[in-house]
Amino acid sequence: MKPIDFNKNKGTDLLLGALLLVAFLAVPLWADKGLIFLAGVALVHIVFALSFNTISGLSGMVSFGHAAYFAIGAYSSGLILRNWPEGSIFIAIAAGGIAGGVLAAVIGMVALRRSSGNYFAILTLAFAELLHILIAKSSWFGREDGLTGIQRPLINVPGMGAVNLTDGNNMFYFILALSMLLLCGAWVIWHSQFGRQLAAIRQEPDRAAFLGVNIHQSRLIAFSLSGIGAGFAGAMYAPLAQLLTPEVAHWSFSALPILFCLLGGTAIFWGPVAGVLVFLGLEHSTRNIIGLSEVVIGTTLLFVVLVFPGGIAGGLVRLKQAWFKKPVQDEVPEFFTENGVKS
Amino acid sequence: MDQVALTLLNGLSWGMTVFLTAAGLSLVFGILHVLNFAHGGFLMIGAYLSYTIGAQLNADSIWVFLLIALACAVAVGLLGALVERFVFRRLQKVSEAYSLIATYALMILCQGVVKLIWGIDFLSVAPPQELGGAVMFGDFIAPSFILFVIACGVSVFLVMDYFLHRTGIGKRVQSVAIDPLMANWVGINVNAVLIWTVIAGFALAGLAGALLSVNQSLSPDMGSALIIQAFGALIVGGLGNIRGAFIASILLGLITSIGDRLVPDVPGLFFFVALAAILLVRPQGLMRGLR
Repeated sequence: MKPIDFNKNKGTDLLLGALLLVAFLAVPLWADKGLIFLAGVALVHIVFALSFNTISGLSGMVSFGHAAYFAIGAYSSGLILRNWPEGSIFIAIAAGGIAGGVLAAVIGMVALRRSSGNYFAILTLAFAELLHILIAKSSWFGREDGLTGIQRPLINVPGMGAVNLTDGNNMFYFILALSMLLLCGAWVIWHSQFGRQLAAIRQEPDRAAFLGVNIHQSRLIAFSLSGIGAGFAGAMYAPLAQLLTPEVAHWSFSALPILFCLLGGTAIFWGPVAGVLVFLGLEHSTRNIIGLSEVVIGTTLLFVVLVFPGGIAGGLVRLKQAWFKKPVQDEVPEFFTENGVKS
Repeated sequence: MDQVALTLLNGLSWGMTVFLTAAGLSLVFGILHVLNFAHGGFLMIGAYLSYTIGAQLNADSIWVFLLIALACAVAVGLLGALVERFVFRRLQKVSEAYSLIATYALMILCQGVVKLIWGIDFLSVAPPQELGGAVMFGDFIAPSFILFVIACGVSVFLVMDYFLHRTGIGKRVQSVAIDPLMANWVGINVNAVLIWTVIAGFALAGLAGALLSVNQSLSPDMGSALIIQAFGALIVGGLGNIRGAFIASILLGLITSIGDRLVPDVPGLFFFVALAAILLVRPQGLMRGLR
């Protein structure tokens, strides 16, 4: 069992964060419109994946319905921006985050108390599919055709006047700033005392309970925080894409953050980020041949799972340890121990 | 009255469709404790195979159709042997979450292969002549292919239940499912049981795919749509319990079909309502602990 290293890597983390920021800032210098849009989508997915990893990698809960919180965030923000085009984009995005958090809190309150493991996964899936069907069938959300006409309102920046998000790459920079903020938030949660508590619950729930941790409450808070993160991701996605379809609530969308996290590695904070970048890169480079995209992604995932069971980040850490001739300290990080998939 | 009967019939046919998908899934879960996403993918490959073979033979008889289904079962069972050898066997070393994602990766791979070979358009298999008509019960008309799907589901259940509960092979499978270590100590070849159970599970996927091609349209999304409903039936029935899966499939099918009549605007809604409600009342499924 690999303990999460809480304080040793602060410098490395700062460096990696700065690198990520610079890499994304540089995208508009060389990329065309399509790639810049893809980079924006990647940022949204990074927030989505990090929010998911707060409950899976850190707390060890397998939710299979995370698309629900993304979708409710996206549709809340989308509906506000569509019906109130001169309003504030910050209100729309905050509303998305709150909506995601409230829905996660309600579902978590019911589901966490009643079930665990596979049963919890399927129960969250059932709730998410309920939302998917409701969105796809109600005219208020644009049914299967999707929600169109989502506006990007002006932002008033003191000293700079109004910034128009539809101009140039302003929307991309806006998403970049927001997602970096949210990434910092996820980092703080991951490394805070609360984060350690969640890791303790994942590794030894009984011992954590004996030490006075309120397991149910901590899990519920983590689940709600994760819902807020997914809601924010959705809320950013609405003005970026300006079109929402019920696909964002479908269960295959719930599978995305799971794929990102496991591909990248769940035991390390930056794992999901690596997962998103590799996954979207693969998808983008194979998009033109129907069927090949799935074959490449499926084979890559299978290869990573069979050869690097710690994901990309876990594999890199092991390579580094081998390079510097450090003894490999631990086995592959144990994942979902106590309420794992085994029943 | 006819409407009520038709609703019940639809519910049963829906339930048996889900049960045919869930049957092999339950077998594999019982022994490997992994919810096998790839099951949907291989079921889809079975359906597409039966489409291709059927188009080649062009024979319009139910017996040929059943023979094709058996051939598909054998073919997908062989694929299952390969999957067991190259994927599942290696998964014993990694944690269950990674196993789950490996099977999901396999399903994506199946979808890609289906798209590469058969394209993305919807295909439909013309059912054999005998299933094109309808059977009259008094003045109630029941379409033959619906009765056929129900008959297939019930037969598969009866055969599986007989094998698992009444034969020596079934007892050995059950003992490995419950406690592989102990089974090994009393002289059961655990590895052989694992391999053959996985092959049987995949063969059931191939069989189900070929049989269900009469009431499902073939598309690359066919597998993923069925697999989620089958997961629901397995969970409601209590994981790894074939009788539970059978009863849960019928129950969920009837609830969905009645719900669709009451709220025709939102088809399929009641499946997930029932799934959530049953799991909240019985978080471990209906038949937990019973075998």
